[in-house]
Amino acid sequence: MAGAVIDHMISLIIFLAVLLAFIGLFGETVQTAIMYQKNGYLATKCSDLLDNILLNPGSPSNETVHWGRSNCAITSFGLQDPEFTEYRLSPFSLMRLQSSSEEIYYNNTWYNNASWGIEGAYLLVPKSECINYSTATKLLGTNGTFGIQLEITPTLTFTIKEQAESPLELAIQVDGQGIPLSNAPLTYLMFWTDTTSQEGKPILNLETGPLTTDPTGKAVWRNDTLGLTTADNKTAYTFIVKASIGGLTGVNCKSRNAYIENAGNIAPFIDNYEDGTILLAHNPKNNTSDNEALHFNATFYSLPDIFWPIPRLSNWTGLVNATGPDPTMQIPVDARSAPGFLIVAYYSSSENAFGMSIMPWGIGSVGVSVVFAENPFMPANEWVAADIRQVRVGDTAYQAKLLLWSLEGYEVVK
Amino acid sequence: MPHVTIEHMIMMPILILQIFLFPLTASWIMNIWVNSRRNLTLQEVASHLGSTIQQVYFLLNHKTMDGTLTQETDLPLLIENVPYSGNATLGAVLDPTLDPTGSSSKLLELTLKLSEIGTTTTTSVLLGQNVLWLESTYVSTSPNSGVTATKFPNGTISMSFTS
Repeated sequence: MAGAVIDHMISLIIFLAVLLAFIGLFGETVQTAIMYQKNGYLATKCSDLLDNILLNPGSPSNETVHWGRSNCAITSFGLQDPEFTEYRLSPFSLMRLQSSSEEIYYNNTWYNNASWGIEGAYLLVPKSECINYSTATKLLGTNGTFGIQLEITPTLTFTIKEQAESPLELAIQVDGQGIPLSNAPLTYLMFWTDTTSQEGKPILNLETGPLTTDPTGKAVWRNDTLGLTTADNKTAYTFIVKASIGGLTGVNCKSRNAYIENAGNIAPFIDNYEDGTILLAHNPKNNTSDNEALHFNATFYSLPDIFWPIPRLSNWTGLVNATGPDPTMQIPVDARSAPGFLIVAYYSSSENAFGMSIMPWGIGSVGVSVVFAENPFMPANEWVAADIRQVRVGDTAYQAKLLLWSLEGYEVVK
Repeated sequence: MPHVTIEHMIMMPILILQIFLFPLTASWIMNIWVNSRRNLTLQEVASHLGSTIQQVYFLLNHKTMDGTLTQETDLPLLIENVPYSGNATLGAVLDPTLDPTGSSSKLLELTLKLSEIGTTTTTSVLLGQNVLWLESTYVSTSPNSGVTATKFPNGTISMSFTS
């Protein structure tokens, strides 16, 4: 009798165990299949969202006002250039996107940092005038449900290095998507300064010309006639180069933003985006109250697609003092709606040393990248869908990449 | 001998129960799977349809565009062998941070419904202030199902589903 009871107990336990194992295994298979479908949904959503961002100029966007060219509130999020159709983005809408990089605090204002002295280029817009991540995701309808990261990066990558300082020699390496850009024609703009006026203001000079990359994508700039030397900061320069081959165009720059002992260096800030007010200040990261004043000479150029700089405000000169007030200038009204750049040359009379910095006006004029995200952190355990479109910003080829992940816990199946 | 009888009395119903219990469990789990699939597909279709409406609107809203634009959708005719239909209503944006002036944007609430099952899903599409939505129904099985938009000389864009 006891043996039969044990038999029954064992068989019942085995039966229940088999049933539970069946439910568990079957359930897990179904769970995996649902996860797979959710990830498929993410991929579709990512593609739709990227098209909605890139093929829509956003609102307001009409003859009188465009959100990318003013400080107005945005009511629909899109980055397309309102003057064009298809995948052509507005260089100015991109300037108003709040970058995920560290913000800069200067003179009681937080500045959005799209470029903080990368190769001497500064693009600092007051944070209060930028479109933040929360507003953009609310307008896109993804707030609280999806996380996004939008990266707008130039298709062609440039590396510009000083390979000799006396006489100055620059090596330019141009790469496409994973391969060097061989035998590509380049055009360059070389701004330099190594002399001053009687008042001690640095004098801006310009030289232009063509170059060609070799089979490894490399070109070398050298001009023995000019005889420039960067040793002891005796010369400063801003080198802007454009590569164009088979309809693919890229631009990049390198500015010698030299840090001068006891005087620091100069960073341009956009004080008011809509009014085009620019202020020049000692770079706040290097600034101390006993820094000496720097003489400067700045020129704002418009840069049309033909890659010939048109001076719109020439030879703005003055002194930048560590204790202020900071000199300001305004970009002419008719020059604000076209991409361009501001070149600033500075000089320390006590050190007899030069430096230069550049501020792009409109993404694309000197090939600045934009990363729009809540923060640079990427979720580790989430399925991330990615989609890419080839776009243009002005005449420059860019790649727009959107990363999308769910905030509702679509975890990666491990 | 009584042991064998008792064993048969207990084991036989359990074995018979197994015949029903396993298929019932399988069916229960499969129902969960099918429902999830249906909901997700409906959600995906609603999101894609909303995106299509938004793209048609912004394309026609461009200053160089004029006239009537019709976009046929590439959505599935059936979801798990079930047709579905959709309606949309146009309203004001309620979140003041999205529309500080209170008159610039309109929100299109798009609702899709699986015909026989009754499952519904909703998605929102943000459009400009110059949009009008005409009462219409999206029918998935219709050969011409899509979105049409007409731009009037005053800039107003009238939109509806085609079927």
